[in-house]
Amino acid sequence: MTEMTTESTVYVTYIATTPEKLWAALTASEFTRQYFFNRTVESDWNTGSPWILRMPDGRVDIKGEVRESDPPRKLVVTWNVDWLAEKLPEAIVSYEIEPVGGGVVRLTMTEAHPTPIPAYLLEGGRKGWPMILCGLKSLLETGKPLNIPVPQPPKEPGK
Amino acid sequence: MSKFVYAIYIRTTAEKLWDALTNPEFTRSYWCGTRHECIWEPGSPWRLMIPDGRVGDSGEVVAIERPRRLVLLWRNEFMPELRAEGYSRATFEIEPVGDTVRLTLTHEIDRERSKLIDGVSNGWPAILSSLKSFLETGDALDLTRHWPENL
Repeated sequence: MTEMTTESTVYVTYIATTPEKLWAALTASEFTRQYFFNRTVESDWNTGSPWILRMPDGRVDIKGEVRESDPPRKLVVTWNVDWLAEKLPEAIVSYEIEPVGGGVVRLTMTEAHPTPIPAYLLEGGRKGWPMILCGLKSLLETGKPLNIPVPQPPKEPGK
Repeated sequence: MSKFVYAIYIRTTAEKLWDALTNPEFTRSYWCGTRHECIWEPGSPWRLMIPDGRVGDSGEVVAIERPRRLVLLWRNEFMPELRAEGYSRATFEIEPVGDTVRLTLTHEIDRERSKLIDGVSNGWPAILSSLKSFLETGDALDLTRHWPENL
């Protein structure tokens, strides 16, 4: 029996930037391709609009809908992995951006799973988000992204 | 068991990251003005000193393997409610990945709903984000350059 979970993954990072620049870095492909494993994004980022995360070879990686859009403070999107043979329940990813003074903003990313998913799959986000968001921080603070190899998707235990 | 795990990728070398974590000359810049008092040998006592002279945390070096792994026994000393929870354990693991090093911090204590772990869950992301900025840009984040006024 596969262990199921509705646990969230949360990652908090503090970045020397402005909320506007961080919002742009999260929502424009010229930035995402530098820190999000070469992926691009497509959306008008209005509440209710569709959005897509596209792989460098053109395939769709993730697609969903913009649930909440309050630039430059909060962005909530639904998250459906598009390339798996077996569809996973939809996840919800939120980015919250808060200025904390001294030219620093706090970014809180939450990957929530309202519908249970196999627990081993959480590993993907728990490994990937720190890589992505650390690359985003480096890009905004130094102008240079990190070079981290793309991690492999998690394997089901015993398979 | 209460546990906080945080991974951060920093463009630096394992040795530089190790020095930034353990050398008071560096910790002062990004870790709220604090400094370690420790000779960094297995079994040696460890203290984290607050700039005004109070002891912030204290414990012992459980394991040390420069520049890969450091395990500290860790008890809060300046907040009675947290001190009463006794010793926690903080493990720092450093591993090269691509052009970066990954620092994985695991801070855990053998009790449910620990207030200490709640507290460090808020504190570590700020301190380690600032450490990353310090190593990559030369400047720590303003947020953690000084000890907070009301603490």
